[in-house]
Amino acid sequence: MSGKYSVSATSAAHETGAVTQTVASLPATFGPAAEDQRGTADILVVDGGPGWTAETASAVAAGARGIVVANPVPEDTTELAAAADAAGTAVVLDLRWASNAALASGTAAPDARDAVRSALGTASLLDSVATAAPGTDPQRLLGDHLAALLAVSGGLHAVAVLRSGPTGYALSGRLANGAPFTAQGVLTAARRFGVDIRLYTADGGVSVQVPDPDAAWPAEVRVTGAHGELLLPTLYESAHRTAWRRLKDHLGAGTRPDDLAGFSRLTDLYATVAAT
Amino acid sequence: MSHLAAPAGRPLGVGILGAGPVTQAIHLPALARLQDILEVRHIMDVDAAVASSVAARVGAAASTSMDALLANPNVDIVAICSPHQFHADQVIAACRAGKKAVLCEKPFAMNAAEAARISAVSTETGVPIVVGAMHTFDPGWLEAEQNWGNLPDQAHTIRSSIVLPPNARFEDFATEIITRPASGRPDYSDIEVIKGALQGGIMGLAIHDLPLVRRFTPDFADIEVLQALHVRPFGYAVSLRTPTRTIELRAVMNSTWKPEWTFEAIADDAALHIDFTPSYVQAGSAVATFSRNDGSETTTFGPYGHNGYEGEWRELAELARGTRQAPPAQTLIDDLTFALAIAEATVASAAAGHAVATAEAGAPA
Repeated sequence: MSGKYSVSATSAAHETGAVTQTVASLPATFGPAAEDQRGTADILVVDGGPGWTAETASAVAAGARGIVVANPVPEDTTELAAAADAAGTAVVLDLRWASNAALASGTAAPDARDAVRSALGTASLLDSVATAAPGTDPQRLLGDHLAALLAVSGGLHAVAVLRSGPTGYALSGRLANGAPFTAQGVLTAARRFGVDIRLYTADGGVSVQVPDPDAAWPAEVRVTGAHGELLLPTLYESAHRTAWRRLKDHLGAGTRPDDLAGFSRLTDLYATVAAT
Repeated sequence: MSHLAAPAGRPLGVGILGAGPVTQAIHLPALARLQDILEVRHIMDVDAAVASSVAARVGAAASTSMDALLANPNVDIVAICSPHQFHADQVIAACRAGKKAVLCEKPFAMNAAEAARISAVSTETGVPIVVGAMHTFDPGWLEAEQNWGNLPDQAHTIRSSIVLPPNARFEDFATEIITRPASGRPDYSDIEVIKGALQGGIMGLAIHDLPLVRRFTPDFADIEVLQALHVRPFGYAVSLRTPTRTIELRAVMNSTWKPEWTFEAIADDAALHIDFTPSYVQAGSAVATFSRNDGSETTTFGPYGHNGYEGEWRELAELARGTRQAPPAQTLIDDLTFALAIAEATVASAAAGHAVATAEAGAPA
């Protein structure tokens, strides 16, 4: 193998997390575990389907140094977070859209989170459309969608489902300043898959377009105001690679990510929305 | 797109009822581009100074009386650009005056009974009526229509999204406006203000695209409003549903410089996305894009050289000359009743939502 840390993934996680090509893009840090060492690899990749928290807890107990969860569905992460803390395991969540570096760079570089949050005070409407393939479970799409919205907005209030069916869903709620929030999920094979987030303010707004992570096509974040329109620097890095790069940083620094704690906000919101 | 060939002989005469900003900034600039086929000959406004000033710009007669305009033998086509409540009676009067065609700004009536009355008079007199839903005359839309195949039968999701600055920004790009309506400071805590704003939003703004929405909604008679939200300072977020379609309407009018006016119809395997140009300015047509295969295959139509306002005047000229057949009156009635049903249900939904919110806050509704 090459790289400092050996990596092993289930076949489901391999596909969901595009593990082979992502690990290959960080060759000095990660490399595939040898055939006979998969059970004891440094880094384990878990598919984020239902039951992922239990599977991840098992990986923590097995002594993994780091764990990447590929596209997790909302689940209670309280016990898992405690177990990971106790074991000193770095658990990174690789979220379909929310992990995109354009949403939250984790550095001083400008990102969508800063752009949106600095405009929320004068917001008049937050509107979003997520697009996925026909046959996608609308509930999975909803989870991915809410994760992206929370990543940039920080919080949504009184969110409720207006409709949900085989072609998508519609939600509504409000922002902290009372302005309306609306979101729509659309299932179609006719358009590029991704999420589009528009925040409208008194004199412009913020537009965020995040593609699926199956290629390194960049998200586009545009800030419109009296100054004109500013396109934030484009980052040709998939959400998968951003998640792995964060894991690298934490392993190198000996720190632990707060992904699981942050994910609890999504789980809480999802539970609230699902109950409507 | 083919351009209308200049017909032999004298241009057709146009008379306009109402000389406000829409006439000044939209119709006169559009007509200025069509001087080989259309000529403004009479301007009427209840404000004599406005009528004479606007008429002087185009060398037309001026009056403060509809009867004077209708009696003017040089007027072949009547455009009704007056306040909404006058539309129905003025359309009927123009038909009965024996004019060759009538353009009525949307909405052409305020209820279904008025619409039926107009339709009956149009049938009786044989005078064709065009409603100023400009996007339905936009060459980008018309080209999409020629190429959309069975998309209207297959679409399951329809979106109209409108982001505009206040009208004055684009009016001032188009002309030198005289007399603008005064704007007030609305009290958003008053549900009647919200209801009025939503009614105005649907019948004044969404109505531009509702005929487009209806083309993709075969079961339009079964429309249901799931939620209607007011967007400040002016706009709406309305979620609609029929048994086979989901429809989302968004509008935000703020102080942005960047207009965005889109219409989308989405099916499982194909989608149509149209970007319309802003009203008032002569910025060419919409651009229509069909997409398939995860967006990797696209076909684009436009932009073409003129917008829907010019398109509707071109059609009026053809109707008046008898070289084109009038649109079915039932289409106009269906478009109107569709819009009225949405407006009524939107206002009712907003009122119900306000009552719940007020009750939850412990205050009298």
